[in-house]
Order: sequence, then C-alpha cells, then structure tokens
Amino acid sequence: MRKRSRGRWVSLLVAGCLFAPGLAQAQEAEGLRRELEQMREQFDAMRHQYENRLRELSERLQRLEAQKAAPAPPAPPGASPAAPPALTQAAPPPPSEPSLVELLRPHQPFAFAGPGRVLLFDIGVAGDFVADFTSNRAERLQDGTFSGRENRVFPRHVELILAGRVDPYASAAVRFTGADEPKGPGREAEITAKLEEANGTLLTLPFGTTMRFGLMAPRFGTLNVVHEDDLPQVDRPDVLRRFFGQEELNTEKGVEAFWLLPTPFYQEVSLGAFNGDNQEAFGRGSIRDPLILSRLRNFWELGEAGGLQVDVSGGTGETADDRRNTIAGLGAKYKWFPPTGYPFPLITLAGEAIYANRGLALANGGGVSSTHWRQSRGYYLYGQYDWTKYWAAGLRYDWTDLPTSSGREWALAPYLQYKPSEFLRFRVEYKHTTGAGPIRDADEVFFQGSFVVGVHPTERF
Amino acid sequence: MIRRFRWAAIPVLLCASALAPAAAQAKPRVVATLADLWAVTEQLVDGQADVELATHFGQNPHDFEIRPSQILLVKRADLLIRNGLEEDAWIDPIVESSGNPKLLRGSPNVVEAAQGVQVLKIPHGPIDRSLGDVHPLGNPHFVADPRNLPIVSANIVAGLSRVMPELAPKFEANRTAFLAKVGAAYAGWRQTLAPHRGFGLVSYHDSWPYFEQAFELAECGIEEDRPGIPPSPQHLALLIRTMKEKRCTVILHESWYPTDVSAFVARETGATVLIVPQTPGAVPGTKDYFKWMDFLVDSLARALP
Repeated sequence: MRKRSRGRWVSLLVAGCLFAPGLAQAQEAEGLRRELEQMREQFDAMRHQYENRLRELSERLQRLEAQKAAPAPPAPPGASPAAPPALTQAAPPPPSEPSLVELLRPHQPFAFAGPGRVLLFDIGVAGDFVADFTSNRAERLQDGTFSGRENRVFPRHVELILAGRVDPYASAAVRFTGADEPKGPGREAEITAKLEEANGTLLTLPFGTTMRFGLMAPRFGTLNVVHEDDLPQVDRPDVLRRFFGQEELNTEKGVEAFWLLPTPFYQEVSLGAFNGDNQEAFGRGSIRDPLILSRLRNFWELGEAGGLQVDVSGGTGETADDRRNTIAGLGAKYKWFPPTGYPFPLITLAGEAIYANRGLALANGGGVSSTHWRQSRGYYLYGQYDWTKYWAAGLRYDWTDLPTSSGREWALAPYLQYKPSEFLRFRVEYKHTTGAGPIRDADEVFFQGSFVVGVHPTERF
Repeated sequence: MIRRFRWAAIPVLLCASALAPAAAQAKPRVVATLADLWAVTEQLVDGQADVELATHFGQNPHDFEIRPSQILLVKRADLLIRNGLEEDAWIDPIVESSGNPKLLRGSPNVVEAAQGVQVLKIPHGPIDRSLGDVHPLGNPHFVADPRNLPIVSANIVAGLSRVMPELAPKFEANRTAFLAKVGAAYAGWRQTLAPHRGFGLVSYHDSWPYFEQAFELAECGIEEDRPGIPPSPQHLALLIRTMKEKRCTVILHESWYPTDVSAFVARETGATVLIVPQTPGAVPGTKDYFKWMDFLVDSLARALP
C-alpha cells in the first residue's frame, strides 16, 4: 500500500517535470504578446502625437506665410517679367502695448536684456587734447588762455558718459571727467578726475513741464551747455572765461524746469535754482541764497534762408564774499546750407554778449567793508565756413571787460578744422590778444585733437 | 527780494509777450522721421491727419544736426513713425527734449516701421566704429523694395488706428487702395527693368540692396567701403578693377554726397554717374512714393545698356 502511494508521488513528480517547461513557455509567449501589444499602442500614440504636432506646425507655418509678403525667389534669366510677386496685405502681429498697470509697476533701474545681455544704457568716451604754444613770458606769468598750461600738451577734457532711461518717466546722465590741472604757481600739473554731471530728468510732469535735478550744466546763454570737446573753437570765448572761469557754469547743483511755449515758433523757457558753486561769478554755495538762472531760447526756420536762434538769459546770485552778482546774456546763431543736395558749404555766424552788475567788497579803514557796484560787459562774434564735410575755417573776435578789476582785452583768433569722420576732429588756432590795464599782448597757437568712442549725443544747432 | 529776481524775470516777461494762443489743431499730427516713411504715411492717411517730416527733404539722415524746430514738431505730434533700424536714432534726444512722453520709445504712439521686414545685410561679428557709421541692426533702406510695403503700411496703419481708432476702417481702406496701386506700379517697374535683369550696379552709399533685390539687379560694388568714411585708394582701385571685369557701367550716386569720388571712378571706368534721390523728395519732383520710384526706374532703364 505504501509502495503504491510512493509510486504515485513519483509519477506526479515525473509528470510535473515533463509538463513544467511547456507551461513556462506558454506563459512567456503570452507575456511577449502583451508586451508587443503595449508597444504597438505606444507607437500608435506617438504617431498620433507626431501627426498632431506636424499638423499644428503646418497650420502655424501657413498662418505665418499668410501674414508676411515673402519675397519672391529670383526668376531664372530670360523668364517673363510680367508676373511680379503678389503684394499681400497681411499685417505682422501687433506690438504688445503696455497696460497702465504695467506702466505703474516699479521697474528695475537697469536690466540685462535676455540672451544678448545688452545693458540698457549708453556709454561713451570723449577725449580732447590741446597743445598750447606761447611766449616764455606768458609761460612764466601764467597769463595765457590756458593759465598754468602754457607751452604744454595736456588732456583738457576726457569724459566718460553714461546715460539712459531710468523708467518710462525719467532718464538720467552721469559724466565723469579727467583733466590736466595746474598745481600751484610752478610747472607742476596733475590729472584730476571729477564728477561733472549726474542728473535725472523727469519727462512726464504736468503741463508739459520737463525737470532736471542734480549736478548739471544749466541752461544759460549759448555755449554753457556745450561740452569742452564740442566748443566751436579750441578755447572758450574770452568773455565767458573771464566772467565764469574756464569751465563756465557747468557743475551747478540744483534743479531746473523747462517748458516749450505754445507759440507758432520754437520758444523754450527755463528756470532753475542752484547752490551757486562757480568760484568766479557765484561762489556762495548755499541754496538759502540760491543762484537763479533763467533762459528764453527762440528759434526760427527761415526756409531756404537757413535757421536763426536767439537766446536771452538772466541770472542772479551771491559771490563767494556775499555780494550780489547779476548777469544778463544775449546770444544769436545763424546757419545756412544748401537746402537740397550736398549740404555744403555750411555758413555759421554767431555771437554772444554778457552784461554783469556785480557788488565788490571794499574794505574801509574801520575794518568794515562796503559794497562797490561794478558794471562790466563783453562779447564775442565768430563766423565759420565749412566748405566740405571734412574741412572748415573760421574767425572769432573777442572783446571783454575784466569783471572784478579795471582793464579789458580783445583778441582775434583764426582757426582751421579738419574732421576725417564724425567722431574725430583736429583744429589749429592762432590767437592774438591785446588789451588795457593788467592785460598783456600775447600770441598763442593751439593744436587740438578730439575723439569720441561709443555713444555721443547728436550734434545740435 | 524783488530786486534779486528782477533780472531772472526778464526772459519770462519776454516770452509772455510772445505768447499767442496756438491755432486749434483740428487734425492729429503725425511725424515721420524719414522722407520714405513720410511718403508712405501720406498715402495711408489721405488727409485725415497732418503728416510732417522731422528732417528736410533732401537732407542726409546720416549726417544730422538737431534743430530746435524739430523739438517743437515732436512736442506737438500725436504719432511718431520711425524707421526701426536706427537710421533715425537722432530722434531719441529730440523726443526727450520735447517733453512729449507719448512719443518715447515703446509707447503705443510710436511705430517702428521695420517690424516684420526681412532685413538685409545684418552685420555679424564684432561691431564697432572701425566699420564706420555702421547700422548694427541691418540695412535700413527697406522701403526701396515695394514688396516690403504691405508690412510697412500695416505697421503704420496699426499705429494710426491706435491714435485714431474711429478712423481705422478708413486707414485700412486707404491701405488696400495704396497696395493695389503699388502692385500695379511694381509690375510696370519690373517690366521696364526686365531687360537689365542681373545687371550689376555701383553706388556711393550702401542704399540699394532692397531695390536691387526687388528688381533682380546685382550689387557690383560700393564706393564707401565703410559708411561715413571717405573711401580708401586701395578700395577704389579694387572697385575700378571689379567694374572693368564685370562690365559695370552705372554708378548710382545719392544726391546728398559729394560727387568727386563718383566722378573719379566714372573717369577711370567710363561708367555713367546717375544722381539719384536716396529717399523721396531728395531730388525735386520726387516727394510722392510713385514719382520717386518712377525716377529711379526710368533713370536706370535709360542708363543701363
């Protein structure tokens, strides 16, 4: 009995061994079938996805092609010219307009614009170098046009300009300058660097007002806002140099507003209040007794006869010794060039007159000072003839009182200019000065080389 | 205190005396920076607005001096049409000086005409002033190809419609009519120049790549090897040799450049110098877009062999 039972178990074992591989194979085949089915489904899904994507891209391409007038491929030589490509009327996508909310949202002062990493403000460098040749006597006495730099080659003005938009409503400009400055009475000089301009301009104030605040060259007269490297001659006219110093009123701190008046021709009026940091004319340096400057600038287009600008300026402030100084200015500039074709010859005629009424401290015997009022005046006139884009010649005449002492000077300065390009300029100027009082006769020759790298403001009238 | 402000008040009083109420402006004012954009805008506006030009007709926009009258023009404008490829970058300081925030770049009142145009000759590699007064965004003279006008006119009409939405259908109708006229004229211009297809042209400035593309002409050479810089003798010698080899016999000389270089090259090669307007109005009688193109096409057809 036990033997039969044992035999049965052995048979089952043998049968199991015989049938087990077949079962496993069947199961494996079934798994493969399922796997294949899944793969087929996946491929179908992928094919559908690709077909949909291709259909979308195709439709998008058709839309884009319909939106632009694609230039026709050039026809083979000899083909009929009578079938020009069609001019389609489709418009490109409209530019996105910022909403009011977007405009009101605070913006970063500057940003890197995407992959190109473009820094969103302008950078420019201007260099202005002068060589001053004069007599040994003028060098010894340091009474030349460029005082303390006679018979020297020097960087008069090298500037780094950074300017751009602050946000949708304001712009800003910063200007650093370096210049060769004489150190005391000897021949020593050093390169000094300073911040000459740093101001913000608010562009969207009520009533069409524009306002500038910070450190700036205020709107006064004709040449005050012109940088050294953009002056019409090598040196600043004598009247401006005597009344305001070599750098004129170009580093005042304060605020100025200006408006374009609703008149049929151009009229801009400006009004500003400043510390009064100009050592020559307004050295009080306090906003409690501010330097007030105002200017009215007019411009008339004269059609084929050219253009004329006339400016009237007024300013009043306190000097370093707390005396009032009031200055008025009148400037005019006229330009003519052929209205069509090559715009040369270009003729420029300009001039500016300054009148000052200045209080001077007079010490009396008791140690108490009184005020003596001194009126002084001066002007310059020049004409320039640009016979090509590259070459120009001009002549300037100067006449001026000395603003703080008796004496006057006058000078005649012919000059020649060569501009190989818009960004490079050379000048040579001869200047003969004569005068009365402490002014000595002098003959000077200046050579000037100026260059601009990067961004530079467009030339103005 | 009164004494202190007496002098400063003089200009204020003077301007007050000159104050006169400005004439009421019934029509909106549109300012185009360049004469070609002015000519296209005139056709699209068709009297519905005053279209003014920021430069003078015949004034080279590359050598530009800002005049106060332009500041006044921009101050009073409602819409500014600008090139979009920086040929008129001088408009930015004018806008800033004008105190008209509507026309600051990015505003809906500013149209960049080049938007969507297939720009040619975009410079690659380092771009600096050693390349001359180069246009980093590509050649800006795209209006000389009539096939760009559908895009340019669409940009301008979009701007006009943003400023004068009530007139949008009128502007669109004007555009349709203008493009139909351009299409017909273009067919005629192509027919006129068809016998000269593939002919090489020389020009003083790189003003004509779009024009050459439109009429299947070729560029044989440019006298200015770098924009705004007088050509070097080596460059001129090479140009003269190329012209002789390729039998290029016509020089397109833009009317506002000095003629001495073109005259010299013509003497050396026997070529004909054609004084042509780079933009409408640069030669008398060509302010209208069609008259400008007529002038260019007819002059060329007469001069080409």
